Amino acid sequence: MTRNRWGGRDLLHRWEGNPILILEDMPFPCNTVFNGTPVKHDGEYLLLIRVEGQRGYSFFTLARSEDGYHFTVMKKPAMVPATNGPFAKYETRGIEDPRATFIDGTYYILYTAVSEHGYRIALAQTDDFEKFERIAMISEPGNKDGVLFPEKVGGYYVRLDRPLGLGVGSIWLSRSPDLINWGDSEMLLPPRAGYWDPFRVGASVPPIRTDKGWLEIYHGTKMTSAGPIYRAGAVMLDIEDPTIVLHRCMVPILSPREDYERIGDVGNVVFPCGAIVEPDGEIKVYYGAADTCMAVATANLSDLLECQTE
Amino acid sequence: MSRNHGRDLIHRWEGNPAITIDDLGFACADISTAGAVKFQNEYLLLLTIQSLEGTYSIYPARSSDGRHFQIGNEPVLAPTSTDNKVQYEQMGLLDARVTPLEKEYYVTYDVWGHHGFRLGLARTKNFKTFKRQGYISEPDTKGGCLFPGKIKGRYARLERPWEGGSIWISYSDDLRHWGGSEIVMSPRGGYWDCTRIGTATPPVRLPIGWLIIYYGVKGTSAGPLFRLGAAILNLRNPSKLVGRTDEPILSPREIYERVGDLPNLVYSCGLIVEKGGEVKLYYGASNSCIAMGFTTVDALVKACMNGGDRP
Repeated sequence: MTRNRWGGRDLLHRWEGNPILILEDMPFPCNTVFNGTPVKHDGEYLLLIRVEGQRGYSFFTLARSEDGYHFTVMKKPAMVPATNGPFAKYETRGIEDPRATFIDGTYYILYTAVSEHGYRIALAQTDDFEKFERIAMISEPGNKDGVLFPEKVGGYYVRLDRPLGLGVGSIWLSRSPDLINWGDSEMLLPPRAGYWDPFRVGASVPPIRTDKGWLEIYHGTKMTSAGPIYRAGAVMLDIEDPTIVLHRCMVPILSPREDYERIGDVGNVVFPCGAIVEPDGEIKVYYGAADTCMAVATANLSDLLECQTE
Repeated sequence: MSRNHGRDLIHRWEGNPAITIDDLGFACADISTAGAVKFQNEYLLLLTIQSLEGTYSIYPARSSDGRHFQIGNEPVLAPTSTDNKVQYEQMGLLDARVTPLEKEYYVTYDVWGHHGFRLGLARTKNFKTFKRQGYISEPDTKGGCLFPGKIKGRYARLERPWEGGSIWISYSDDLRHWGGSEIVMSPRGGYWDCTRIGTATPPVRLPIGWLIIYYGVKGTSAGPLFRLGAAILNLRNPSKLVGRTDEPILSPREIYERVGDLPNLVYSCGLIVEKGGEVKLYYGASNSCIAMGFTTVDALVKACMNGGDRP
């Protein structure tokens, strides 16, 4: 399945059957389907996808697959914006961009809660992707793109996120003793002038533990007169102290090039929200394309690691 | 001179402005705000002073009568030059607010750097030495006010995240990791505080609730118009509003409030409640000098409870 494509257009190479989910695959009417996060659960591929309904707000629906490529979408949404309880007033405009991390025997979903008060990061938990329990709102407004490390580091849970101060979109790192109260925040990765990611960057895939460090696949944007271009990049963080950036790939690992990435509600966007590393070393990166459909691209994990060192 | 029928609920001191840059023993760009506390029978202010280079630091001022102040020549809190911290505070430290808590005093302040504003925390027992406790928020938030006691067993703070322009509350068990953030008050369409609001003075505990002074902004074609209002928050659950003034308690009217680096601005970081219920409010005017005004706790409570529209 996996081919080395060093001479190709991107380090990640697209599955030839892309896109894997489009509007016509949905069992109910909706506007778009994108930005899904994958897990491998009991040998099955589960993809928690963001669906934007016709009315204009987003919610999550589960898709299931035997092979990681051909998915069947469940008829009933998995998680919809809260309409009562303490979460309701922060989800009045929807829930977006889930990221799943398996830690301590359960799955945690970080997602973006949207309301008139702004964007903030919320935490939910599930054991089976059928029942989801909301745990807490874990950021103030003005923050999104939260991803959780799959294990504690230095005795603390660790997350990456993207606060937006003065319009500077950098990736930050915060720590928590209990997943609910967060602090010790530090700036981790800023946009880079003169590169493909000079405008804003944000965490995309929950960090993956490798022999060379924590691999973080992030998104970077470049602003143009026609709007932003969203690409995916890779950065390697120190295992013991992930505030140390060991290597940052000079070039994007995936750029919008195919029609389904160029054309859609928000064109010129590839936006990963998760990846699965197979036992043979292949990595499957699931990404939303043009805020309109879901696609998948693969590589050898070892190739991605080499990209780090130029 | 008493002004019982004056233009604002807060009566200005006739000696205003209380502190201008001409009162300093050194040259600076401006004095913008003052945190306030009564400590060992002395009135202490923590002034935000901008250097001529353009960076902000916190300086002490002392007074025996609360009106005439001696200003220190050295800052008690200044931006660090430590390499990896410079990005967070290259513009400086500003808007210090003092809260007595557990036999010490905590100072919250805004840390201004490349990424915007974030909150810093320091503590002191004597107002001579201050121990910085690190950053307690991500960007972009400012106006951190610590509550002077625990709420349901947890430390709490008010603040104003940039996004949404509302006042929020957050909680902590250790003053280091924070969570449970909830919205407290928002701007009101059609009012003097319609564009954004923010915390001004740290909460004062009253039987009826937590009394705060807040600032409200109305955007105009000439820039923002900053006024002060007051609110009372529920004692056990401060994200519940008990009362809020319909009208401002102080608006820029005097020449020193209208003219300066940021004209048409009154902005407070501290007040002192005297034993008889008199309130001394210290406020920055036009980001250029410090002024003071008087009222009473009863007058503030009455104004809050007369507010019609909530929240």
